[in-house]
Amino acid sequence: MKSYFLLSFLVCANFLNINVCQANHSNNWAVLVDTSRFWFNYRHVANVLSIYRSVKRLGIPDSQIILMVADDMACNPRNPSPATVFNNADQQLNVYGDDVEVDFRGYEVTVENFVRLLTGRLPPDTPRSKQLLTDEGSNILIYLTGHGGDGFLKFQDSEEVTSQELADALEQMWQKRRYHEIFFMIDTCQASSMYEKFYSPNILAMASSLVGEDSLSHHVDPAIGVYIIDRYTFYALKFLENVKLKSRISMKSFLGVCPKQDCISTVGVRIDLFHRDLAKVPITDFFGSVRPVELTFDFLDISNTPL
Amino acid sequence: MNAKCLGFLFVFIGPAYSETYSEELFIKPLATGYVYSFFQFTVIREDDSFKHSTLFPHSLGDIIDRFHVAELNVDLTSGLWRHKSWGYPAVDAPSGAEISARFHNDTQDVDKNWYGLTNALSGLLCTSLNFINSANSYESSSDRVYRYSNLPRENVCTENLTPWKKLLPCDSTRGLSSLLNSGRVHNANYHSLGIHFRPLCLAGKCKYELRQTVSLVYDSVFISFNNNYDWSLRKMFGTGLFKTCPLADYSKIYLDTSSNSSVPYLISQEPDYMLKNNIAVYNLNGIFHLSAIVPRPKIVVSELRPLLYTDRFITGFGQEYGGLVTRIYNDHKSSIIATVIENIPWFLPIYYHTLKVTSNGVRVTPKALIYKPGKGRVRIYYLEIVLELAPRSVTEISVQFDYVFLKWQEYPPDANHGFYIGSAIVKATIPRHATSLTFDKSLIVDNLNSTGSDYLICLKTENFIITLPTPDFSMPYNVICLACTVVALAFGPIHNITTKRLKLTTAKYVPGLASVAQKLYVWLENIFWSKKKNKTGKAAVVKVFVPEELSYHPTLGHVSEEFMKDKVDYIAS
Repeated sequence: MKSYFLLSFLVCANFLNINVCQANHSNNWAVLVDTSRFWFNYRHVANVLSIYRSVKRLGIPDSQIILMVADDMACNPRNPSPATVFNNADQQLNVYGDDVEVDFRGYEVTVENFVRLLTGRLPPDTPRSKQLLTDEGSNILIYLTGHGGDGFLKFQDSEEVTSQELADALEQMWQKRRYHEIFFMIDTCQASSMYEKFYSPNILAMASSLVGEDSLSHHVDPAIGVYIIDRYTFYALKFLENVKLKSRISMKSFLGVCPKQDCISTVGVRIDLFHRDLAKVPITDFFGSVRPVELTFDFLDISNTPL
Repeated sequence: MNAKCLGFLFVFIGPAYSETYSEELFIKPLATGYVYSFFQFTVIREDDSFKHSTLFPHSLGDIIDRFHVAELNVDLTSGLWRHKSWGYPAVDAPSGAEISARFHNDTQDVDKNWYGLTNALSGLLCTSLNFINSANSYESSSDRVYRYSNLPRENVCTENLTPWKKLLPCDSTRGLSSLLNSGRVHNANYHSLGIHFRPLCLAGKCKYELRQTVSLVYDSVFISFNNNYDWSLRKMFGTGLFKTCPLADYSKIYLDTSSNSSVPYLISQEPDYMLKNNIAVYNLNGIFHLSAIVPRPKIVVSELRPLLYTDRFITGFGQEYGGLVTRIYNDHKSSIIATVIENIPWFLPIYYHTLKVTSNGVRVTPKALIYKPGKGRVRIYYLEIVLELAPRSVTEISVQFDYVFLKWQEYPPDANHGFYIGSAIVKATIPRHATSLTFDKSLIVDNLNSTGSDYLICLKTENFIITLPTPDFSMPYNVICLACTVVALAFGPIHNITTKRLKLTTAKYVPGLASVAQKLYVWLENIFWSKKKNKTGKAAVVKVFVPEELSYHPTLGHVSEEFMKDKVDYIAS
């Protein structure tokens, strides 16, 4: 009986061998942060919710998405259609959706909470939904949007995280084996300054603009009265809407997502810390949740394992 | 091996805990065209251990177990309930988040459990309940294991409704909860989500009740689009009812038709039966739709006012001193005993000696008074006053306070928006009244059937918003900019003066204003050089050139020809 099982395992293993080799991470997480408060920053909330919508659609569960939204746009009294956030003036796509879980909101979105979340140095009572419970097999998508400058990103218009602090936080994550690979995306002015200080391995970074450039918003919805999305994220969402869980789209094609004539700013990319061939990295390695099966060829003794 | 497996199965499936689930919707047209709909989803179970359950939400059961919670009330509300025109709601909740809990009597460290509970709930319900600390919560004066807090700033949106719906046995796919679409819920004039857990003990035997409630008030003029008071399930919730929840033992809609006498309206469906002559009851099985047509919409509904209602406001002007006034109106023909609980945050320090209680303008002494002074950043100002409200009277409680300066880091990012002050609580036992609803029993039907003469109400007053003196946060930045400019402007000349090597021989003065400066300069330099001379023993000969004698050096500007000669040599060599 036992030998039959073993045999079937081995057969499966040979059959699945190729897939096993390709998937070298075991789980996917996403940290999506909007750092801007106030109604006129509606577009930043639309940005972060666009990415939230995409990663959720591609299979990352809410329990593995940490969504930080610094202000309530959906139920803001100024919002003419409550409980919605649109990414487009034609109001076809409600990126807020009917099923959203915001983990950090309002005043909770601070630099301290963000860095604590990344590094895992949290107070003892922190609920699971506010923890980044990643391990050395986790691929993490980090998306930040807000107002920034050369070497910093503003939080709530009252404090800043600098590029050095961010780089150090990521290094601490690496040392604590809290990630396998990170895809870092940022949509802010002078965005590429935020990843220039990174020095930890396995980080692929992408920014909406180079140092000295502004990231621009896409268009105004006259019904809402403010700019509703930024250019870079608008085109990124457009790209991601065409991605399916089984698509064979690579990260390389995603890195070319917003050419200069669309974005007006130059999209910055940093690949020197990342050691895989980008043409062979499927986009679902970061935006989706692919659950590879790990096969073991040994029998495990679970009789002594406490339940 | 097989026997063992079966044994395991028995452990998990064997003991059938009795749990019942019922879902009810109570609809009541209110005055001036508003429609109140109150949803209640009730799970009652007999077992107090929440390790295993079929209907009771496991995530909440875990929290209740872990933090030794005996009773829990959480309300997330947006909007203001207008007692004066709407009467009493089934669950009274102030705007924002409100949470109260009673822990088991044997709980050692109640505060630790309280903060653990609020943190856990903040994760479960996507709220900022983790901001609850000792500076915004209080324990009851009479109950060691009771804690209360409210966060008036908390906004309520889909991210709160989503996890709330996930606690229901049928989620939002079937049954009455399928009416709760986020777009419609958050478009209401008043909406409140609640979670209420309590033990129901009778003769030493306890049952545990979990009620999940939603209160919604829609303006029927707004939802009908035709400028009339017609309403229907579809107009309010955007959908009709299609499937009932198969897990529910009890699935009913009640429509209060008592206002039909003043404003007649036509209901599209014949009720299954009537309860106490004025409540139409519909059993839900399958597709259901309900609409009401109000033929004479222009008549404003005049309803009886509730017996007791409140009013609260701020007095004073400026940003130094202010006053807080709470008014309680008793419209009943006999006196009522009421308890007023004020919890005033530490940044609004009140003066106890200014506390004044008047009834119809005449100063009265409260029957009892408990005052716990607050402490900056640590404890709220707690005031509990027991009053006898005279018949047909207005009782006013007023107290003076200071506006305080906060520390720089304590101001929120939007400090100029203002600071929210939570509601006061008024508890009283009032006689049953035509407009009143009592919601102290498990099911709505039992409450509607209730015939008790007196019942306890718990009113929550308005929140209000104050402007604390807020500094100009860009001031340090401005100061830095200005100071740097001044330093930069001063640095150039000082650097020039102190580092430039000038070879000067004899002084020649040009007449006019410039000569004064020249004299001053020569005098200062003489002092400087003479001191240096004492130290080094070298004499310096001072000469001031007239501009004609100078020649131009590309970096140093006008210098003497001698200097220029040296320089040129230097550059050449």
